[in-house]
Amino acid sequence: MAVEMIMPKVDMDQETGTVVQWLKTNGELVTKGENILVIETEKISIDVEAPETGILDGISVSPGDVVPIGTVIAYILEEGEDLSSVLPPNEKPESKTEAPKTKQKTEVPITPIARRMAEAQNLDFREISPSQPGGKITKEDVEAALGQKKVVGERKDLTATPAARRVARLQNIDLSQVPGSGPGGRIQRSDVEIFTPTVRMDSDQTVRSDQRIPFIGMRRTIAERLTASYQAIPHVQFMTRIDMAAFDKFRKDLNTQALANGDQKISVTALLVKLVAQALTKNPLLNSELVNEEILLHSNINIGVAVALENGLIVPVVKNADQKDITEISTEVEDLVSRARSENLTGADVRGGTFTISNLGPFGIEHFNAIINPPEAAILAVGAKTQEVIVQEDGAITAKPIIRITLSIDHRIIDGAVAAHFISDLKTALEMPSL
Amino acid sequence: MRVISYLEAVREAMTQEMEHDSRVFLIGEDVGQYGGAFQVSYGMLEHFGPERILDTPITELGLTGAATGAALIGMRPIAEIMFMDFTTLASEQLVNQAAKLRFMFGGQSTVPMVLRTPAGSGTGAAEHHSQSFENWFVNVPGLKVVMPTTPYDVKGLLVASIRDDNPVVFIEHKLLYKTKGEVPKELYEIPLGKADIKREGKDLTIIATGIMVQKSLAAAEELIEEGIDIEVVDPRTLRPLDTETIISSVKKTGKVLIVHEAVKTGGFGGELAGVIVESEAFGYLEAPIIRLAGKEVPIPYNRDLERASVPQVEDIISKAKDLATLKV
Amino acid sequence: MKLAKTDAERYLLQMHQIRAFEEQAEKSYMAGKIHGTMHLSIGQEASAVGSISTLEPTDYIIGHHRGHGLTIAKGADLNLMMAEFYGKANGYCRGRGGSMHIADVKGGNLGANGVVGGGLPLAVGIGLGLKMQAENRVLLAFFGDGAASAGAFHESMILAVLYQIPTVFICENNQYAMSFSAEKWTTSKRIAAHAELYGMPGRSTNGNDLLEVKEEVQKAVDLAKGGGGPSLIVNDTYRWRGHSKSDRNRYRTNEEIEEWKKRDPILRFEKYCLENELMTEIEADEIKTRAYADIEASRQFAESSPDPKVETLEEGVYA
Repeated sequence: MAVEMIMPKVDMDQETGTVVQWLKTNGELVTKGENILVIETEKISIDVEAPETGILDGISVSPGDVVPIGTVIAYILEEGEDLSSVLPPNEKPESKTEAPKTKQKTEVPITPIARRMAEAQNLDFREISPSQPGGKITKEDVEAALGQKKVVGERKDLTATPAARRVARLQNIDLSQVPGSGPGGRIQRSDVEIFTPTVRMDSDQTVRSDQRIPFIGMRRTIAERLTASYQAIPHVQFMTRIDMAAFDKFRKDLNTQALANGDQKISVTALLVKLVAQALTKNPLLNSELVNEEILLHSNINIGVAVALENGLIVPVVKNADQKDITEISTEVEDLVSRARSENLTGADVRGGTFTISNLGPFGIEHFNAIINPPEAAILAVGAKTQEVIVQEDGAITAKPIIRITLSIDHRIIDGAVAAHFISDLKTALEMPSL
Repeated sequence: MRVISYLEAVREAMTQEMEHDSRVFLIGEDVGQYGGAFQVSYGMLEHFGPERILDTPITELGLTGAATGAALIGMRPIAEIMFMDFTTLASEQLVNQAAKLRFMFGGQSTVPMVLRTPAGSGTGAAEHHSQSFENWFVNVPGLKVVMPTTPYDVKGLLVASIRDDNPVVFIEHKLLYKTKGEVPKELYEIPLGKADIKREGKDLTIIATGIMVQKSLAAAEELIEEGIDIEVVDPRTLRPLDTETIISSVKKTGKVLIVHEAVKTGGFGGELAGVIVESEAFGYLEAPIIRLAGKEVPIPYNRDLERASVPQVEDIISKAKDLATLKV
Repeated sequence: MKLAKTDAERYLLQMHQIRAFEEQAEKSYMAGKIHGTMHLSIGQEASAVGSISTLEPTDYIIGHHRGHGLTIAKGADLNLMMAEFYGKANGYCRGRGGSMHIADVKGGNLGANGVVGGGLPLAVGIGLGLKMQAENRVLLAFFGDGAASAGAFHESMILAVLYQIPTVFICENNQYAMSFSAEKWTTSKRIAAHAELYGMPGRSTNGNDLLEVKEEVQKAVDLAKGGGGPSLIVNDTYRWRGHSKSDRNRYRTNEEIEEWKKRDPILRFEKYCLENELMTEIEADEIKTRAYADIEASRQFAESSPDPKVETLEEGVYA
């Protein structure tokens, strides 16, 4: 009867033994108790005895092999016994099924705005689940994902005792509003207990809670960029009134023609873009950028059109506006604006602008001072059209459709005269439009 | 009620319980003929004879093991180690054997012994005769650790410890021996694992052990003059700890000062703070938990240095005031 | 001495059981079924059986970490013993003690001990208690040559003599602590010489001669039970295996091991029984077979026993 020889356990915590040297080989006679193998564990090297007297055979491990304890490593056979009668039957190799090929998506579908927001917050797109399954990740999805991560409104320097926190929690009091009387301004329980939050109570005494909007993503990006612009650039504003009668007629005629041709209708914005581009060709400093120690006069005139969104604004760019004809510009503006509103702009759409137009006319704003969109040198704010009483040069009083345009310039690059010159050219272009 | 000293209360507990239960005997160095190094067992040899009051040569390890072995087969020995400092010599038998025999034999046996030992500083005995190691033994499952602070408590707790079927480390602060208090004449027990509120108060909880209970009470008497009302909690048994009493006190006052003589780092105070912070009392804390304890030194010889090594009444007053007035 | 046949059979059976148990424990360990470590007493069977053969069931023993033989000689249930080795819930110590801390308190075995010399101060206490209880019981306190250098040994000797306790201290001198030879530190080359210094009778025996061991221990037991106080008996013997399972045997030679194997206590006693016609060869063989069968049964019992539940972990710390 064959006897199995196993890799023995000789140490506490030992899980494997390393084979060092067989002192006997297959086919040799060994006696019970005789040392026939040297093994090593982490702690020691030790001789292993033959478990029985017989013929050593079926050695299945060699020097250097690391073998789990309890594994059969050889057999001691009786005289005349055959090894094949002792070895376990060969197992059928498992048929390897092909792992199903999964299509690896290299691109996660995500809107550009959502992408910008997510990137700004170092969020992995794959962690965001789109609200439309299989659809693109939108900014709402990103905000939702971020909202779960960050708790807003916590003062970093807020210290409060556990007792204060507990009472605040129970009474739904915002700790960040409670003044602390403890050491270093620490909020003590008594501070919370005497605190009366300035909350307007409804007449029927229901308590309303404030709403919290996470200050993240696009909002934050806009905030940071505009703050930087406002702080770094010395803005000066130049305002003038434009008589839009000619502009309106010009546009109307263009649209009659366009309608007849089946072309894209021409919007105020599109026409503004075209005419501003014209004026810029004659005033390159307004289309420049301060880069390190140089003022770079851009060769391309890429006009950004500010588009208001639900929770922010975005500025898609009409590239080479001076070189495109009005129909082209119109089509492009239409497309950009609509894609802006549906959050389908790409990075390319919003990059490379050299001048920006912001038109709050449709919102009824008569006049406002825009903040320059860095790294540009100027921005044109366009106001609402109103019928105004004008005193003409000859003293006659008439009513004209007037808009106010306000140019904000970077006074590091552009002086008043330069600005005025541009305004003058622009005014001419707008009041006596031609393509 | 009649008034006796803490030392007399210890003697009375042993004497009365030994009269009550013939399995109880006392073994230790100089406990018999000499009457005990602090005279705790004075007169007991004459009363009970050498079969029950056993003197030993200098054999801390041997005598502790002897007590353990005798307990193993049904006796109820009291072993005395003359100074807590020397429990270091006895600890193999106390920690490896007495504490573990029941568990490692799967519950087959019990070790109903008491190891009594005087501890603490203030006598000028310096490094090798002044230490407090209660926290070492609190860390050993299988042991119970008791640290009584008044004559009334020490008698009742010693009787209870002798009657307990587990090995009990019973720590007597040397400077408490002379303190006096009312003690009932009859044999009585105070349950192990029950704390005692030595003084009720509402502004601040002091949890103190050993002689620091007395010092804290003295500090409280001073501070009430300034309108600070302190609650002094005496755990009495360190293992098992009466967490309920401690938690309710902390919930009441919201401020905790822990005072013990043993060295601060790794001391019992850390255990108490952990227990408080892990409990529902956490939500009631108004200030950090402060530990006032022995300085990071062996006990020195010079009197002023010795005094400065452990908390004194003025230290307790000062820390308690800071805490009560929320300066911390 | 004149041995009764039944006694001879019992002693031979016990010695075979001890050896069979040790061999099986070793096998189970190497197969990874018993973990931790173990200290085998193969070769020391006569010291255990011979010494304990002098006791009544109501007498006590306390042992050391190489105590499997002592446990069996004191009449342990082999199933419960093997179950404890396997760490099972129904072992003697509910799986909490294992080889080094096995005890059978009801059977008068106050336990093996993981600390060398740890049982000696305990022995003083047990002896003290037995004396106080005055029920004419004796304690055999086993320890090794390794413990004879420890402080605990010396304090225990002193206290044992001081209190004149009914205890026989039995040193199973297998020549080595772990690797440190007893010869190196015993200046008189005889551990038994310590006894005289402390004030109790001391004897060395040929620890592989069961009858010699029995005779000397019996004298000491009689002395103790008669109120004559403690004695020290040193059984000179040898352990065939290393100190524990990790022992590389670097401190002794194969020749030495082989030399001692020739003095096999089981073969010696068997020879004695046959020569004195206490049993036939066939009977002797049957006894051996029975012993191995008992052990095999205990192995099966242990392997089919349940493991302790983790939820019961904190039970049994306090009474």
